[in-house]
Amino acid sequence: MDLAIVWESLPRLLEGTVLTLEITGLSLLAGFCLAVPVAMARLSPRRMLRVPAYGYMLYFRGTPLLVQLFLVYYGSGQFQPFLDQVGVWFLFREAYFCAVLTLTLNTAAYTAEILRGAMLAVPRGEVEAARSLGMSGLLLYRRIILPKAFRLSLPAYTNEAVFLLQATSLVSIITLLDLTGVARIIVAQSFEPYKLYVTAGLIYLVITYTFVLVSRRLERRLSAHLRGQPAGGIGNVVGR
Amino acid sequence: MAALRVSDLYKRFGALDVLRGISLSAQERDVIAIMGASGSGKSTLLRCINLLDIPDAGEVQVAGELIHMTFDRRGQRGPADRRQVDRIRTRLGMVFQRFNLWSHLTVLQNIIEAPIHVLGVPRRQAIAHAEHLLHKVGLDDKRDTYPAHLSGGQEQRAAIARALAMEPEVMLFDEPTSALDPELVGEVLKVIDALAEEGRTMLIVTHEIGFARAVSSRTVFLHEGTIVEEGPSRQVLDHPRSDRLKRFLSNSPGGGRATSHLLGGDDLR
Ligand SMILES: Nc1ncnc2c1ncn2[C@@H]1O[C@H](COP(=O)(O)OP(=O)(O)O)[C@@H](O)[C@H]1O
Ligand SMILES: [Mg+2]
Repeated sequence: MDLAIVWESLPRLLEGTVLTLEITGLSLLAGFCLAVPVAMARLSPRRMLRVPAYGYMLYFRGTPLLVQLFLVYYGSGQFQPFLDQVGVWFLFREAYFCAVLTLTLNTAAYTAEILRGAMLAVPRGEVEAARSLGMSGLLLYRRIILPKAFRLSLPAYTNEAVFLLQATSLVSIITLLDLTGVARIIVAQSFEPYKLYVTAGLIYLVITYTFVLVSRRLERRLSAHLRGQPAGGIGNVVGR
Repeated sequence: MAALRVSDLYKRFGALDVLRGISLSAQERDVIAIMGASGSGKSTLLRCINLLDIPDAGEVQVAGELIHMTFDRRGQRGPADRRQVDRIRTRLGMVFQRFNLWSHLTVLQNIIEAPIHVLGVPRRQAIAHAEHLLHKVGLDDKRDTYPAHLSGGQEQRAAIARALAMEPEVMLFDEPTSALDPELVGEVLKVIDALAEEGRTMLIVTHEIGFARAVSSRTVFLHEGTIVEEGPSRQVLDHPRSDRLKRFLSNSPGGGRATSHLLGGDDLR
C-alpha cells in the first residue's frame, strides 16, 4: 500500500493535533474550575444556588453537544447588539472561542455531576469529624471534602476527559482546523479517505491512551494511603 | 460555673422521641459515664451537645456560654450564629465510635489539620504539640502512617490525639472502644484513664462498666431518652435502685467488672 499521502500530510495533521490538544486542554481546565462551584451549588441547602446549578447541568447533559455548538456559534449572532454592547462580540465572532466556550460549558456540566457523586461518597463520619473540630463552609470543602472527592472522581473524570477529546472533532463543523478538520480537507483534495481517517484515528488513539496512562499513574500515587494494608481487601480493589 | 450544662434537651427523629428532657451538668474535672441500652439516645445526646444533631428544644452551655438557637422561616430550629457553633465546637473534643480519621491524611496531618486551619496555630507549633500528644497516646512511631495502616486501637488513640490538639475544655467520647477487638480495648481505656487523671472534663458513653466504675466520678443511666438514674458512679453501679438499671447491669457479663483489669491497676497509669 502506498503511504506517501500519509507521510506528506503528517505535518498538517500534527498541526491539527496541536489545535485539538489546545481546545481539549483549555476546555478541560476551564470546565473543571467551573464544575467545582457548580457541584457545590448543586449540593447546597439553598434553593437559590441549587436550582440554577440543577438547570444548568440538566440542559448541558440533556442536549446534544452539536446543538450546543450551533447555538453558541450561530445563535450568538441574534444577540449581536447586546454582545456588542457588553464588549464581547469580537469573541463570539471567533469559531475558536465559541468552540472552547461550548466545550467548557458542556464538560463542566458532566464534571459537576461526577464531583457531586464523589462529594456524596465522602464518608459521612469524616465530614462530621471535621465539623466537630470547628470546620464548616468553604474551609470544610477546601480542606476535607474536595481533596477526598477529587481522589474518588479520578477514574470517572478520566473517562470524561477522553470523551471530551473525542468530542472536539465536532468543532471541525464550525470551520476549525483541528485534527479532524485537517483530515477532512486533505481527504477532499486527495480522495484518500481511508488512509487519512485511519491515521487521524490512530493519533486520537495515542492521545487517549496517554491520558489513561497518566491518570492511572496519578491514581496510584493518590491512593498510596490505602495500599500495602497489612490485612484487608481495599488494596486489591484500588490496585485493579 | 459548670464546664458544660445541658438543660431540658428534646430531640425527635420523625415519630421517634429519642431525647425526652435531658438535663445534665459537668463541673470542671468531672468525668461522667453515660450508660444505657442500645438505642436509648446516648449518641444523640452527645451529638446534640456539639450540634451535630439539632435539639428540638433545650439549651446547651459551654463554660457559661449559651449556644444561641433560632427558628428559620419554615419553623426549623437551628443555630442563630454558625460561627458561634464553630467556635464552641473547637472547645468540645469529640471522639467517635468509628474513629473517623481522615483517611487521605497521615496521623500527624490528621492532628495538625484543625489547629492550623481552624485555630490559626503556626505550623511549626502545631507539629510540636502534635508530637507531644502522639507520645502521650503512645503513637510516636506512627506519625507518618496513614490510618488504613493502623490497628483499630491505634486509630482510636490517634483520633483522641486529634481531638486533644484543639485543647478542648470538655471531651466527648461516644463508645470509644465498641468498634474494637477485645484485645485492643485496654490500650484505649488506658489513654482515657490517663486523661481523667490529668483532670480533664469528660463525658464518656461506654458499656465498660468496670471502666466506668474505676474512672468516672458520676454515672448517668439513660433509658428511652430520659435519665433514669444518676449519681456517684460507685453508688449507681454497685447499688442500682431502678429495675431498668439492675437488669442492664445483670445483662452485662460479670456486671462489667471484666474490664477494670484492662486498666492494669494504678502502677500502669
Ligand atoms: N439521624 C437519625 N435519623 C433517624 N433516627 C435516628 C437518627 N439517629 C438516631 N436515630 C434513632 O434514635 C434512637 C437513638 O439513637 P442513638 O442516640 O444512636 O442511641 P444509642 O447511641 O444510645 O445507641 C435509635 O432508635 C436510632 O435509630
Ligand atoms: Mg450510640
